[in-house]
Amino acid sequence: MTTLPWYIGGPLIGLMVPLILILREKQLGVSSSFRYIGTFILPNRDYFKYDKKKDLWQVQFSVGIVLAAFVFLSGGIASPVEIDTDSLYGEQESNIYSISNWLVFLIGGFAVGFGARYADGCTAGHCIMGNSLLNRNSMITTICFFIGGLAVTYFVLPNIEIL
Amino acid sequence: MKALTSIALGFAFGAILIFSEAFHWYRIQEMFHFESFHMYGLLGSAILTGVISVQILKRFKVKSVYGAELKLVEKEPRRLGNIIGGLIFGMGWSLTGACSAPLIILAGWKWEIGLIGLGGALLGTLTFGLVKNKLPK
Repeated sequence: MTTLPWYIGGPLIGLMVPLILILREKQLGVSSSFRYIGTFILPNRDYFKYDKKKDLWQVQFSVGIVLAAFVFLSGGIASPVEIDTDSLYGEQESNIYSISNWLVFLIGGFAVGFGARYADGCTAGHCIMGNSLLNRNSMITTICFFIGGLAVTYFVLPNIEIL
Repeated sequence: MKALTSIALGFAFGAILIFSEAFHWYRIQEMFHFESFHMYGLLGSAILTGVISVQILKRFKVKSVYGAELKLVEKEPRRLGNIIGGLIFGMGWSLTGACSAPLIILAGWKWEIGLIGLGGALLGTLTFGLVKNKLPK
């Protein structure tokens, strides 16, 4: 399988917005599933005492995402990403998913989880869904996603050892 | 039935992120290095499709399969939350080469490192719940 080109993949991602609205009466989002899980771990904190039923669908949505990974990646149907090993990050890539990089993923994952809750949405909820509604705050948040990402890309990643 | 629909939608969403390679560390680094148009085209055309879809849904007052009118709710502004939270999220996006959905994909593929990333995201969520009241809004 070759890479799905952006002009097919992008519109398909965008079509998830009306599909989820029509079939499930929900707005695209992923990271509220983390909040839902949190209600079982810290049930007494205010933030986790909320009408969690409305977010249950995101947990189910996430189960579907994992299943897609099992079928298409673990099942070997999707081919590995073609890497340009001449670039700096191309060299790093070969082992990026090695367990030796656990600290990078633990800290990075923490930032994703914390940032998504603080900003009240992630790439799905703000960048795709919020911007589809032409929401000004989602535009601001999307720009901040990029600024944070650029800062780490240029100032942090070159200085840490990726094994 | 609703649960199955949600799972099927997640499966489709996951498949698109996998086949368009948006879930992969390399694609995200490439994007932040401005070396490829792929991710910009992907996100840009996704948003454009979303905007047009929402306009069509509104214009024709499309109803859900359950016959209800569609409620389109804009997230409430968080001011500093949108900015600081957005910056922190972006840092994590670059570090792991993944945002929320791609972390879930990793957990199903390279499960060791994926579960660490996902565990980190859960820890981050729990930490937010603990300190929320002390943070500026």
